[in-house]
Amino acid sequence: MIELTGVKKAFGKQEVLKDVSIKVNDGEVVVILGPSGSGKTTLLRSINFLEKADSGIMKFGDKEINFKKAGKKDILYMRRHTGFVFQNYGLFAHKTVLQNVMEGLVQVQKKSKAEAQKIAEDVLEKVGMLEKKDSYPSQLSGGQQQRVGIARAVALSPELILFDEPTSALDPELVGETLEVIKKVAQTGITMIVVTHEMSFAEDVADRVIFMDGGVVVEEGKPGEIFYKPKEERTRQFLSRIIPQDAYVI
Amino acid sequence: MSFSMQNFYDSFKSALLYAPVTIKLTAITFIVSLIFGAVIATIRNYRIPVLSQFFAFFVTVYLGLPTMVALLIYNLLFMTLYADVANAFHISVPISDVNPIIIGYFTLIIGTTCSISESIRGAFRGIEKVQYEAGYSIGMGRFKTLTRIIFPQMIPILLPGMQNSLIGLLKASNLVSAISVVEIMTGALLPSLLYYSYLEGYVAAALVYWIIGAAIEILAHFAEKRCGKYLKIATES
Repeated sequence: MIELTGVKKAFGKQEVLKDVSIKVNDGEVVVILGPSGSGKTTLLRSINFLEKADSGIMKFGDKEINFKKAGKKDILYMRRHTGFVFQNYGLFAHKTVLQNVMEGLVQVQKKSKAEAQKIAEDVLEKVGMLEKKDSYPSQLSGGQQQRVGIARAVALSPELILFDEPTSALDPELVGETLEVIKKVAQTGITMIVVTHEMSFAEDVADRVIFMDGGVVVEEGKPGEIFYKPKEERTRQFLSRIIPQDAYVI
Repeated sequence: MSFSMQNFYDSFKSALLYAPVTIKLTAITFIVSLIFGAVIATIRNYRIPVLSQFFAFFVTVYLGLPTMVALLIYNLLFMTLYADVANAFHISVPISDVNPIIIGYFTLIIGTTCSISESIRGAFRGIEKVQYEAGYSIGMGRFKTLTRIIFPQMIPILLPGMQNSLIGLLKASNLVSAISVVEIMTGALLPSLLYYSYLEGYVAAALVYWIIGAAIEILAHFAEKRCGKYLKIATES
Protein backbone atom coordinates (compact mmCIF):
# COMPACT_ATOMS: atom_id res chain seq x y z
CA MET A 1 0.00 0.00 0.00
CA ILE A 2 1.20 3.50 -0.77
CA GLU A 3 -0.23 6.60 0.78
CA LEU A 4 0.77 10.18 0.02
CA THR A 5 -0.39 12.92 2.35
CA GLY A 6 -0.13 16.66 1.84
CA VAL A 7 2.39 16.58 -0.97
CA LYS A 8 3.54 20.00 -2.12
CA LYS A 9 5.95 20.90 -4.87
CA ALA A 10 6.86 24.17 -6.51
CA PHE A 11 9.21 24.92 -9.38
CA GLY A 12 10.38 28.40 -8.46
CA LYS A 13 7.18 30.39 -7.89
CA GLN A 14 5.05 27.95 -9.88
CA GLU A 15 3.14 25.69 -7.50
CA VAL A 16 2.69 22.36 -9.28
CA LEU A 17 1.36 20.26 -6.41
CA LYS A 18 -0.78 22.02 -3.82
CA ASP A 19 -1.41 19.64 -0.98
CA VAL A 20 -2.13 16.38 -2.81
CA SER A 21 -3.14 13.24 -0.95
CA ILE A 22 -3.74 9.88 -2.56
CA LYS A 23 -3.88 6.30 -1.37
CA VAL A 24 -3.37 3.18 -3.45
CA ASN A 25 -4.06 -0.26 -2.00
CA ASP A 26 -2.07 -3.39 -2.72
CA GLY A 27 -2.90 -4.87 -6.10
CA GLU A 28 -4.89 -1.85 -7.13
CA VAL A 29 -4.52 -0.24 -10.56
CA VAL A 30 -5.03 3.49 -10.37
CA VAL A 31 -5.15 5.79 -13.38
CA ILE A 32 -4.38 9.47 -12.91
CA LEU A 33 -6.06 11.74 -15.42
CA GLY A 34 -5.84 15.43 -15.96
CA PRO A 35 -4.95 18.20 -18.37
CA SER A 36 -1.30 18.98 -18.98
CA GLY A 37 0.14 21.07 -16.20
CA SER A 38 -2.18 19.49 -13.67
CA GLY A 39 0.77 18.03 -11.77
CA LYS A 40 0.03 14.35 -12.45
CA THR A 41 3.46 13.53 -13.86
CA THR A 42 5.20 15.49 -11.09
CA LEU A 43 3.22 13.54 -8.50
CA LEU A 44 4.23 10.26 -10.10
CA ARG A 45 7.89 11.28 -10.31
CA SER A 46 7.86 12.40 -6.68
CA ILE A 47 7.10 8.86 -5.58
CA ASN A 48 10.48 7.54 -6.71
CA PHE A 49 12.25 10.87 -6.23
CA LEU A 50 12.94 11.69 -9.86
CA GLU A 51 11.39 14.91 -8.61
CA LYS A 52 11.90 15.97 -5.03
CA ALA A 53 8.67 17.12 -3.44
CA ASP A 54 9.01 20.05 -1.03
CA SER A 55 6.88 18.59 1.74
CA GLY A 56 4.43 15.84 2.56
CA ILE A 57 4.47 12.33 3.95
CA MET A 58 4.74 9.08 2.00
CA LYS A 59 3.84 5.75 3.55
CA PHE A 60 4.99 2.75 1.58
CA GLY A 61 4.52 -0.67 3.17
CA ASP A 62 5.73 -0.12 6.72
CA LYS A 63 8.10 2.64 5.71
CA GLU A 64 7.25 6.25 6.33
CA ILE A 65 9.16 9.00 4.56
CA ASN A 66 8.91 12.72 5.16
CA PHE A 67 9.66 14.40 1.82
CA LYS A 68 11.28 17.35 3.56
CA LYS A 69 13.80 15.10 5.30
CA ALA A 70 14.18 12.30 2.77
CA GLY A 71 17.78 11.12 2.68
CA LYS A 72 19.82 9.01 0.29
CA LYS A 73 18.68 5.79 1.96
CA ASP A 74 14.98 6.65 1.62
CA ILE A 75 15.44 7.59 -2.02
CA LEU A 76 17.28 4.38 -2.83
CA TYR A 77 14.68 2.35 -0.91
CA MET A 78 11.82 3.78 -2.96
CA ARG A 79 13.70 3.33 -6.23
CA ARG A 80 14.56 -0.25 -5.42
CA HIS A 81 10.98 -1.14 -4.54
CA THR A 82 9.23 0.64 -7.38
CA GLY A 83 9.53 0.40 -11.15
CA PHE A 84 9.19 3.30 -13.52
CA VAL A 85 8.12 3.32 -17.17
CA PHE A 86 9.02 6.50 -19.04
CA GLN A 87 7.05 8.38 -21.63
CA ASN A 88 9.99 8.33 -24.05
CA TYR A 89 11.05 4.78 -23.07
CA GLY A 90 14.46 5.69 -21.57
CA LEU A 91 16.14 2.47 -22.66
CA PHE A 92 19.90 2.41 -22.22
CA ALA A 93 20.98 3.26 -25.75
CA HIS A 94 24.30 1.42 -25.60
CA LYS A 95 22.83 -1.84 -24.34
CA THR A 96 20.89 -4.53 -26.14
CA VAL A 97 17.33 -5.41 -25.20
CA LEU A 98 18.54 -8.28 -23.01
CA GLN A 99 21.25 -6.19 -21.36
CA ASN A 100 18.72 -3.45 -20.65
CA VAL A 101 16.56 -5.85 -18.69
CA MET A 102 19.51 -7.58 -17.00
CA GLU A 103 21.26 -4.41 -15.86
CA GLY A 104 19.24 -3.83 -12.70
CA LEU A 105 19.13 -7.53 -11.85
CA VAL A 106 22.91 -7.86 -11.96
CA GLN A 107 24.06 -4.43 -10.83
CA VAL A 108 21.42 -3.61 -8.22
CA GLN A 109 19.95 -6.93 -7.10
CA LYS A 110 23.36 -8.64 -7.40
CA LYS A 111 21.98 -11.71 -9.13
CA SER A 112 24.33 -13.95 -11.05
CA LYS A 113 24.49 -13.38 -14.79
CA ALA A 114 22.90 -16.73 -15.55
CA GLU A 115 20.03 -16.16 -13.15
CA ALA A 116 19.51 -12.61 -14.39
CA GLN A 117 19.45 -13.79 -17.98
CA LYS A 118 16.83 -16.40 -17.18
CA ILE A 119 14.58 -13.86 -15.47
CA ALA A 120 15.14 -11.33 -18.27
CA GLU A 121 14.30 -13.84 -20.99
CA ASP A 122 11.16 -14.92 -19.13
CA VAL A 123 9.92 -11.36 -18.88
CA LEU A 124 10.86 -10.55 -22.48
CA GLU A 125 8.88 -13.58 -23.57
CA LYS A 126 5.86 -12.23 -21.72
CA VAL A 127 6.04 -8.86 -23.47
CA GLY A 128 6.69 -10.56 -26.81
CA MET A 129 10.19 -9.19 -27.25
CA LEU A 130 12.34 -12.28 -26.77
CA GLU A 131 13.19 -12.56 -30.48
CA LYS A 132 14.61 -9.05 -30.38
CA LYS A 133 16.77 -9.64 -27.30
CA ASP A 134 20.02 -8.90 -29.15
CA SER A 135 18.78 -5.74 -30.86
CA TYR A 136 19.75 -2.25 -29.78
CA PRO A 137 16.97 0.19 -28.86
CA SER A 138 17.66 2.24 -32.00
CA GLN A 139 16.67 -0.78 -34.11
CA LEU A 140 13.22 -1.02 -32.53
CA SER A 141 9.92 0.75 -33.10
CA GLY A 142 8.54 2.94 -30.35
CA GLY A 143 6.05 0.28 -29.31
CA GLN A 144 8.75 -2.36 -29.09
CA GLN A 145 11.00 -0.03 -27.08
CA GLN A 146 8.20 0.68 -24.66
CA ARG A 147 7.54 -3.04 -24.21
CA VAL A 148 11.20 -3.49 -23.32
CA GLY A 149 10.87 -0.52 -20.95
CA ILE A 150 8.00 -2.31 -19.26
CA ALA A 151 9.97 -5.57 -19.14
CA ARG A 152 12.90 -3.77 -17.52
CA ALA A 153 10.64 -2.43 -14.79
CA VAL A 154 8.76 -5.71 -14.27
CA ALA A 155 11.91 -7.89 -14.19
CA LEU A 156 13.01 -6.28 -10.93
CA SER A 157 9.74 -7.52 -9.33
CA PRO A 158 8.87 -4.18 -7.72
CA GLU A 159 5.96 -3.80 -5.35
CA LEU A 160 4.64 -0.86 -7.34
CA ILE A 161 5.06 0.19 -10.97
CA LEU A 162 4.68 3.80 -12.05
CA PHE A 163 3.75 4.47 -15.67
CA ASP A 164 4.30 8.00 -16.94
CA GLU A 165 2.17 8.45 -20.05
CA PRO A 166 3.54 5.22 -21.49
CA THR A 167 1.79 5.54 -24.85
CA SER A 168 1.79 9.26 -25.56
CA ALA A 169 5.02 9.20 -27.57
CA LEU A 170 3.80 6.33 -29.74
CA ASP A 171 2.32 6.31 -33.22
CA PRO A 172 -1.41 5.56 -32.94
CA GLU A 173 -1.10 2.09 -34.48
CA LEU A 174 1.49 1.09 -31.85
CA VAL A 175 -0.57 2.18 -28.85
CA GLY A 176 -2.67 -0.98 -28.84
CA GLU A 177 0.18 -3.49 -28.51
CA THR A 178 1.71 -1.49 -25.67
CA LEU A 179 -1.56 -1.19 -23.78
CA GLU A 180 -2.09 -4.94 -24.18
CA VAL A 181 1.24 -5.52 -22.42
CA ILE A 182 0.38 -3.12 -19.63
CA LYS A 183 -2.97 -4.84 -19.22
CA LYS A 184 -1.17 -8.17 -18.93
CA VAL A 185 1.07 -6.75 -16.20
CA ALA A 186 -2.00 -5.41 -14.38
CA GLN A 187 -3.53 -8.89 -14.41
CA THR A 188 -0.57 -10.26 -12.45
CA GLY A 189 -1.94 -8.36 -9.47
CA ILE A 190 0.87 -5.88 -9.07
CA THR A 191 0.06 -2.40 -7.76
CA MET A 192 0.17 0.18 -10.53
CA ILE A 193 -0.22 3.92 -10.88
CA VAL A 194 -0.69 4.95 -14.50
CA VAL A 195 -0.74 8.46 -15.87
CA THR A 196 -2.46 8.25 -19.24
CA HIS A 197 -4.96 9.82 -21.60
CA GLU A 198 -6.20 6.47 -22.88
CA MET A 199 -9.79 6.44 -21.70
CA SER A 200 -10.77 3.00 -22.92
CA PHE A 201 -7.69 1.56 -21.27
CA ALA A 202 -8.58 3.28 -18.02
CA GLU A 203 -12.09 1.95 -18.23
CA ASP A 204 -10.86 -1.58 -18.92
CA VAL A 205 -8.05 -1.86 -16.45
CA ALA A 206 -8.31 0.74 -13.72
CA ASP A 207 -9.86 -0.04 -10.38
CA ARG A 208 -9.99 3.65 -9.65
CA VAL A 209 -9.48 6.90 -11.54
CA ILE A 210 -8.08 10.03 -9.96
CA PHE A 211 -8.74 13.30 -11.75
CA MET A 212 -6.24 16.08 -11.10
CA ASP A 213 -6.29 19.69 -12.18
CA GLY A 214 -4.25 22.70 -11.14
CA GLY A 215 -2.13 20.74 -8.70
CA VAL A 216 -4.97 19.25 -6.67
CA VAL A 217 -7.06 16.07 -6.76
CA VAL A 218 -10.44 17.22 -8.06
CA GLU A 219 -12.27 13.95 -7.72
CA GLU A 220 -11.75 10.21 -7.68
CA GLY A 221 -13.82 7.10 -8.09
CA LYS A 222 -14.52 4.04 -10.19
CA PRO A 223 -13.91 4.60 -13.91
CA GLY A 224 -17.62 4.31 -14.69
CA GLU A 225 -18.52 6.96 -12.11
CA ILE A 226 -15.82 9.40 -13.21
CA PHE A 227 -16.43 8.99 -16.92
CA TYR A 228 -20.20 8.95 -17.02
CA LYS A 229 -21.35 10.57 -13.79
CA PRO A 230 -18.64 13.09 -12.82
CA LYS A 231 -19.57 15.18 -9.81
CA GLU A 232 -17.33 18.12 -10.52
CA GLU A 233 -17.76 20.64 -13.32
CA ARG A 234 -14.02 20.66 -14.03
CA THR A 235 -13.99 16.90 -14.58
CA ARG A 236 -16.97 17.17 -16.92
CA GLN A 237 -15.29 19.89 -18.97
CA PHE A 238 -12.09 17.91 -19.28
CA LEU A 239 -13.84 14.69 -20.25
CA SER A 240 -16.01 16.37 -22.84
CA ARG A 241 -12.84 17.48 -24.57
CA ILE A 242 -11.18 14.07 -24.70
CA ILE A 243 -14.08 11.61 -25.01
CA PRO A 244 -15.52 12.08 -28.48
CA GLN A 245 -19.29 12.14 -28.02
CA ASP A 246 -20.11 8.92 -29.88
CA ALA A 247 -16.95 7.16 -28.89
CA TYR A 248 -18.33 3.77 -28.03
CA VAL A 249 -20.04 3.06 -31.31
CA ILE A 250 -17.15 2.00 -33.50
CA MET B 1 69.99 22.75 -51.32
CA SER B 2 71.29 19.21 -51.19
CA PHE B 3 69.53 16.30 -49.52
CA SER B 4 71.69 13.34 -48.51
CA MET B 5 69.82 10.06 -48.22
CA GLN B 6 72.56 8.74 -45.95
CA ASN B 7 72.20 11.66 -43.54
CA PHE B 8 68.44 11.31 -43.69
CA TYR B 9 68.76 7.63 -42.85
CA ASP B 10 71.05 8.39 -39.90
CA SER B 11 68.66 11.05 -38.63
CA PHE B 12 65.69 8.78 -39.04
CA LYS B 13 67.43 6.02 -37.05
CA SER B 14 68.42 8.45 -34.35
CA ALA B 15 64.89 9.89 -34.21
CA LEU B 16 63.44 6.39 -33.88
CA LEU B 17 65.80 5.76 -30.99
CA TYR B 18 64.14 8.62 -29.10
CA ALA B 19 60.60 7.83 -30.26
CA PRO B 20 59.87 5.94 -27.01
CA VAL B 21 60.54 9.16 -25.05
CA THR B 22 57.91 11.00 -27.08
CA ILE B 23 55.46 8.11 -27.05
CA LYS B 24 55.78 7.68 -23.31
CA LEU B 25 55.44 11.42 -22.69
CA THR B 26 52.37 11.58 -24.94
CA ALA B 27 50.70 8.43 -23.62
CA ILE B 28 51.17 9.12 -19.91
CA THR B 29 50.16 12.76 -20.30
CA PHE B 30 47.08 11.73 -22.24
CA ILE B 31 45.92 9.08 -19.77
CA VAL B 32 46.48 11.27 -16.71
CA SER B 33 44.79 14.23 -18.43
CA LEU B 34 41.86 12.05 -19.43
CA ILE B 35 41.31 11.03 -15.81
CA PHE B 36 41.70 14.57 -14.44
CA GLY B 37 39.66 15.97 -17.31
CA ALA B 38 36.83 13.51 -16.62
CA VAL B 39 36.86 14.45 -12.92
CA ILE B 40 36.77 18.19 -13.67
CA ALA B 41 34.05 17.80 -16.30
CA THR B 42 31.98 15.65 -13.93
CA ILE B 43 32.34 18.20 -11.11
CA ARG B 44 31.21 20.96 -13.45
CA ASN B 45 28.40 18.86 -14.92
CA TYR B 46 26.93 18.15 -11.47
CA ARG B 47 27.58 21.79 -10.44
CA ILE B 48 29.34 20.81 -7.25
CA PRO B 49 29.58 24.09 -5.32
CA VAL B 50 32.91 25.95 -5.02
CA LEU B 51 34.88 23.33 -6.98
CA SER B 52 32.82 23.77 -10.13
CA GLN B 53 33.18 27.56 -10.02
CA PHE B 54 36.88 27.23 -9.35
CA PHE B 55 37.46 24.88 -12.29
CA ALA B 56 35.25 26.95 -14.60
CA PHE B 57 37.45 29.95 -13.87
CA PHE B 58 40.72 28.03 -13.99
CA VAL B 59 39.99 26.22 -17.25
CA THR B 60 38.77 29.37 -18.98
CA VAL B 61 41.85 31.34 -17.99
CA TYR B 62 44.34 28.54 -18.53
CA LEU B 63 43.13 27.62 -22.03
CA GLY B 64 44.37 31.03 -23.21
CA LEU B 65 47.94 30.30 -22.17
CA PRO B 66 50.23 29.05 -24.98
CA THR B 67 51.96 25.77 -24.10
CA MET B 68 55.41 27.13 -24.93
CA VAL B 69 54.97 30.16 -22.65
CA ALA B 70 53.70 27.94 -19.82
CA LEU B 71 56.61 25.55 -20.30
CA LEU B 72 59.22 28.30 -20.14
CA ILE B 73 57.58 29.94 -17.09
CA TYR B 74 57.42 26.65 -15.16
CA ASN B 75 60.98 25.83 -16.17
CA LEU B 76 62.22 29.20 -14.96
CA LEU B 77 60.31 28.92 -11.70
CA PHE B 78 61.68 25.41 -11.23
CA MET B 79 65.26 26.51 -11.87
CA THR B 80 65.08 29.45 -9.48
CA LEU B 81 63.00 27.94 -6.71
CA TYR B 82 64.22 24.33 -6.66
CA ALA B 83 67.12 24.88 -4.25
CA ASP B 84 64.94 26.61 -1.63
CA VAL B 85 62.11 24.11 -1.87
CA ALA B 86 64.48 21.14 -1.79
CA ASN B 87 66.10 22.60 1.32
CA ALA B 88 62.80 23.17 3.04
CA PHE B 89 61.77 19.54 2.48
CA HIS B 90 65.24 18.15 3.14
CA ILE B 91 65.55 16.73 -0.38
CA SER B 92 69.19 16.08 -1.11
CA VAL B 93 68.90 15.45 -4.88
CA PRO B 94 70.84 18.19 -6.71
CA ILE B 95 68.97 20.01 -9.47
CA SER B 96 71.33 18.57 -12.11
CA ASP B 97 70.01 15.09 -11.26
CA VAL B 98 66.38 16.05 -11.79
CA ASN B 99 65.17 15.07 -15.26
CA PRO B 100 63.71 18.20 -16.86
CA ILE B 101 61.04 16.02 -18.46
CA ILE B 102 59.12 16.41 -15.18
CA ILE B 103 58.49 20.04 -16.13
CA GLY B 104 57.34 18.78 -19.52
CA TYR B 105 54.86 16.38 -17.94
CA PHE B 106 53.59 19.07 -15.60
CA THR B 107 53.01 21.60 -18.38
CA LEU B 108 51.45 19.20 -20.86
CA ILE B 109 49.19 17.55 -18.28
CA ILE B 110 47.69 20.83 -17.05
CA GLY B 111 47.09 22.11 -20.59
CA THR B 112 45.68 18.84 -21.93
CA THR B 113 43.52 18.32 -18.84
CA CYS B 114 41.88 21.69 -19.45
CA SER B 115 41.13 21.04 -23.12
CA ILE B 116 39.98 17.44 -22.57
CA SER B 117 37.71 18.52 -19.70
CA GLU B 118 35.95 20.84 -22.15
CA SER B 119 35.44 18.02 -24.67
CA ILE B 120 34.03 15.78 -21.95
CA ARG B 121 31.70 18.54 -20.81
CA GLY B 122 30.43 18.70 -24.36
CA ALA B 123 29.87 14.95 -24.43
CA PHE B 124 27.85 15.18 -21.18
CA ARG B 125 25.45 17.47 -22.99
CA GLY B 126 24.97 14.84 -25.68
CA ILE B 127 23.33 12.45 -23.20
CA GLU B 128 19.59 12.74 -22.65
CA LYS B 129 18.33 13.39 -19.13
CA VAL B 130 16.15 10.27 -19.27
CA GLN B 131 19.30 8.09 -19.39
CA TYR B 132 20.20 9.28 -15.88
CA GLU B 133 16.62 8.90 -14.71
CA ALA B 134 16.40 5.39 -16.13
CA GLY B 135 19.54 4.47 -14.20
CA TYR B 136 18.13 5.93 -10.98
CA SER B 137 14.75 4.30 -11.58
CA ILE B 138 16.19 0.79 -11.55
CA GLY B 139 17.85 1.57 -8.24
CA MET B 140 21.37 2.51 -9.25
CA GLY B 141 23.09 5.32 -7.38
CA ARG B 142 24.78 8.35 -8.92
CA PHE B 143 28.16 6.70 -9.27
CA LYS B 144 26.91 3.51 -10.88
CA THR B 145 24.64 5.42 -13.23
CA LEU B 146 27.62 7.52 -14.25
CA THR B 147 30.04 4.65 -14.78
CA ARG B 148 27.61 2.06 -16.19
CA ILE B 149 25.22 4.22 -18.22
CA ILE B 150 26.53 7.70 -18.91
CA PHE B 151 30.28 7.27 -19.49
CA PRO B 152 29.93 4.33 -21.91
CA GLN B 153 27.52 6.37 -24.00
CA MET B 154 29.92 9.30 -24.00
CA ILE B 155 32.81 7.30 -25.47
CA PRO B 156 31.60 7.23 -29.10
CA ILE B 157 30.77 10.94 -28.85
CA LEU B 158 34.21 11.65 -27.44
CA LEU B 159 36.36 9.54 -29.75
CA PRO B 160 36.83 11.98 -32.65
CA GLY B 161 37.70 14.80 -30.25
CA MET B 162 40.05 12.58 -28.24
CA GLN B 163 41.85 11.48 -31.37
CA ASN B 164 42.32 15.16 -32.14
CA SER B 165 43.58 15.89 -28.63
CA LEU B 166 45.99 12.97 -28.72
CA ILE B 167 47.54 14.00 -32.04
CA GLY B 168 47.68 17.61 -30.88
CA LEU B 169 49.43 16.44 -27.75
CA LEU B 170 51.90 14.36 -29.78
CA LYS B 171 52.82 17.43 -31.76
CA ALA B 172 52.94 19.69 -28.69
CA SER B 173 55.21 17.21 -26.94
CA ASN B 174 58.15 18.28 -29.08
CA LEU B 175 58.09 21.66 -27.30
CA VAL B 176 59.86 19.98 -24.39
CA SER B 177 63.01 20.07 -26.51
CA ALA B 178 63.08 23.74 -25.48
CA ILE B 179 63.91 22.69 -21.91
CA SER B 180 66.65 20.32 -23.07
CA VAL B 181 64.69 17.06 -23.06
CA VAL B 182 65.93 14.81 -25.87
CA GLU B 183 62.98 13.44 -27.85
CA ILE B 184 62.21 12.71 -31.51
CA MET B 185 62.95 16.22 -32.72
CA THR B 186 66.26 16.68 -30.92
CA GLY B 187 67.13 13.04 -31.64
CA ALA B 188 66.70 13.56 -35.37
CA LEU B 189 68.94 16.59 -35.26
CA LEU B 190 71.83 14.84 -33.48
CA PRO B 191 73.43 13.58 -36.74
CA SER B 192 72.67 16.92 -38.39
CA LEU B 193 74.87 18.62 -35.84
CA LEU B 194 77.83 16.60 -37.18
CA TYR B 195 77.17 17.31 -40.85
CA TYR B 196 75.83 20.89 -40.51
CA SER B 197 72.93 19.82 -42.73
CA TYR B 198 69.57 20.20 -41.07
CA LEU B 199 66.95 19.48 -43.73
CA GLU B 200 67.44 15.70 -43.44
CA GLY B 201 66.98 15.91 -39.66
CA TYR B 202 63.78 17.93 -39.87
CA VAL B 203 62.28 15.69 -42.56
CA ALA B 204 63.24 12.57 -40.58
CA ALA B 205 61.56 14.01 -37.46
CA ALA B 206 58.48 14.86 -39.49
CA LEU B 207 58.33 11.32 -40.85
CA VAL B 208 58.51 9.74 -37.38
CA TYR B 209 55.80 12.07 -36.02
CA TRP B 210 53.69 11.30 -39.04
CA ILE B 211 54.04 7.53 -38.55
CA ILE B 212 52.98 7.77 -34.90
CA GLY B 213 50.13 10.10 -35.84
CA ALA B 214 48.93 7.68 -38.50
CA ALA B 215 49.05 4.83 -35.99
CA ILE B 216 46.87 6.86 -33.61
CA GLU B 217 44.38 7.55 -36.38
CA ILE B 218 44.15 3.88 -37.31
CA LEU B 219 43.63 2.88 -33.67
CA ALA B 220 40.98 5.56 -33.24
CA HIS B 221 39.23 4.35 -36.35
CA PHE B 222 38.94 0.82 -34.98
CA ALA B 223 37.92 2.06 -31.56
CA GLU B 224 35.19 4.16 -33.17
CA LYS B 225 33.94 1.20 -35.14
CA ARG B 226 33.79 -0.97 -32.06
CA CYS B 227 32.26 1.48 -29.59
CA GLY B 228 29.84 3.13 -31.93
CA LYS B 229 28.04 0.00 -33.00
CA TYR B 230 24.70 1.12 -31.64
CA LEU B 231 25.18 4.65 -32.99
CA LYS B 232 25.95 3.37 -36.45
CA ILE B 233 22.77 1.34 -36.46
CA ALA B 234 20.91 4.48 -35.48
CA THR B 235 22.21 6.49 -38.42
CA GLU B 236 21.99 3.71 -40.99
CA SER B 237 18.23 3.31 -41.16
